[in-house]
Amino acid sequence: MAKASADSPAVLRGRHDFPEISGRIGSIVLNGRLPRHFWTAFFLCFLLVLLLLYSITYLIAVGVGAYGIDIPVAWGTMISNFVWWIGIGHAGTLISAVLLLLRQPWRASINRFAEAMTLFAVAMAGLFPILHLGRPWFFYWLLPLPNVHMHWPQWRSPLVWDFAAIATYATVSLLFWYMGLLPDLAVLRDRARSRPAQLFYGILALGWRGSAYHWSRYTIVYFLIAALATPLVVSVHSIVSLDFTFAITPGYHSTIFPPYFVAGALLSGFAMVLTIAIPLRWAFSIEDLITLRHMDNAAKLMIAAGMVVAYGYVSEAFFAWYSGEPYERAMMAQRALGPYSPLFWTMLSLNCGVLQLLWFRRVRRNMPLLFAIAIAINIGMWIERYIIVVTGPSRDYLPTSWGEQSLTWLDFGILFGSIGTFFALVFLFIRILPAITIFEVEELAEEEGKVR
Amino acid sequence: MSLYGLMAVFADPEALVEAARGMRERGYRHMDAFSPFPMKELDEILEIPPTRLPWAVLAGGIAGAALVYTLIWYSVEIDYPINVGGRPLHSWPPFVVIAFEAGILGAALAGFLGMLAANGLPRYYHPIFNAERFTYARGGRFYLLVEADDPKYRKGVTKGQLTRLGAEIVEEVEA
Repeated sequence: MAKASADSPAVLRGRHDFPEISGRIGSIVLNGRLPRHFWTAFFLCFLLVLLLLYSITYLIAVGVGAYGIDIPVAWGTMISNFVWWIGIGHAGTLISAVLLLLRQPWRASINRFAEAMTLFAVAMAGLFPILHLGRPWFFYWLLPLPNVHMHWPQWRSPLVWDFAAIATYATVSLLFWYMGLLPDLAVLRDRARSRPAQLFYGILALGWRGSAYHWSRYTIVYFLIAALATPLVVSVHSIVSLDFTFAITPGYHSTIFPPYFVAGALLSGFAMVLTIAIPLRWAFSIEDLITLRHMDNAAKLMIAAGMVVAYGYVSEAFFAWYSGEPYERAMMAQRALGPYSPLFWTMLSLNCGVLQLLWFRRVRRNMPLLFAIAIAINIGMWIERYIIVVTGPSRDYLPTSWGEQSLTWLDFGILFGSIGTFFALVFLFIRILPAITIFEVEELAEEEGKVR
Repeated sequence: MSLYGLMAVFADPEALVEAARGMRERGYRHMDAFSPFPMKELDEILEIPPTRLPWAVLAGGIAGAALVYTLIWYSVEIDYPINVGGRPLHSWPPFVVIAFEAGILGAALAGFLGMLAANGLPRYYHPIFNAERFTYARGGRFYLLVEADDPKYRKGVTKGQLTRLGAEIVEEVEA
């Protein structure tokens, strides 16, 4: 067990006893008396859910041209939203799986909501490639189903790999999350007083009773699934990047993409973790469970991932020049100086500039400032995805048909709609399931000798 | 109503470990312990055999990858071969990608379902839930169960031993 050094804040603050831990975490769910601003925020998110439903209906009724894509730029915000959301999901898996493998004690109180964040982000991400198809009702053609068309998917296409990767990632994340929830659902089952709540949590808990025999198998399998999820995360975002690199389009065709995308995923993912965790710990007064140490470590991981992303930017530009290929060079020059240059420089100043503030401990421990930086990185990473998707095809090999993608209200309707839906799901999750892993915090309290 | 066993309640994890060790030294074998979080020490004391689930996970992974690879191979070589400029039909590098994902999926499913099957879950009825003192929720209590079918089990004697080992309460659990 890593001991917190003198100047770094503890993983768990204060002394606790077991009934207090399970009671405090459980009561958020069971009493259902959530502050008024919780429901106000949920209502605002719900309006965005309606916006998403409206936008999707409009998109399907009118067609994909409605959101501003046209030849030469046939990939627009649907693809950048997809890459952005999937990246956000990755930090959740990293926190829960990799930190479990590395036996990092600070993981215990944030892994649950990080995993939930993964699930909801993947659910959002999964929408976009399907909407992008133009005829979303044929998406199942990507599956090798026996059907009357007599066709098989094109196994050599990264788009089919992508489908396999996302489907696997969503399923494994769900299993891992549910498995972690089992013991906590049993706690809620026994604490619940109303019959419907007892039935709801009781059925979901599958009759978990904490037997020593069960725990011994449970911990081994949980560890193994974490070990499986780690290469899975890396493979998923690498495959996402192959969607681009398999094309010879300038700006897409680059070998740096897989690691660069994975690092970008972690950067935006940790930014989203902070975006959720900072208001969460404040609103529910759980600053002693999710401590400054967690925030500090997440900020440090952000800067580590951010430096790899910065290396990716440099490498992209260098190899565009080094290739000696006029169109690669032209694309890179146009990216920095052409019609997308305001976005490009905004992206650089956010992802490479603002990020550097995190080198300072005082900034990392200042919650409002850290929150603002996290929001800035979220925006910067979305712009990065958009730039990668759009600038390549807009400056293709045929200068006569150079052109730009126009952003329409529908682009933003779907983007903000998906953000609202994501947060609405997070709110429902906080209301219905324990947002902090009860059994792991209790184990941590026991190991650290912080039991009263 | 037959008797399922005796359940002893302990206030802290150390007391449970001590009591489990003590009962084991007295020759009891049919025991189980219940705790709100995993306790490694109990594995040895209760002689919980090391689980074979890692092998199930490995088998699930291999089966998933092999199945999907075979499916792809069947589709490109037998069911729908298309000759594109003489390129090999069985071009394995891209196929490995999907097979890898399928392997992970197979392994994770085998692990999760295997864990449920080995633990006999879902099981909504278990005699321990009949015990009045048993509540998984409070978190502050640790339980040791001595089953009535243990060869050493003698109602009065076992109860006395549990109490001497520091049990707060000893309760009879009905099956």
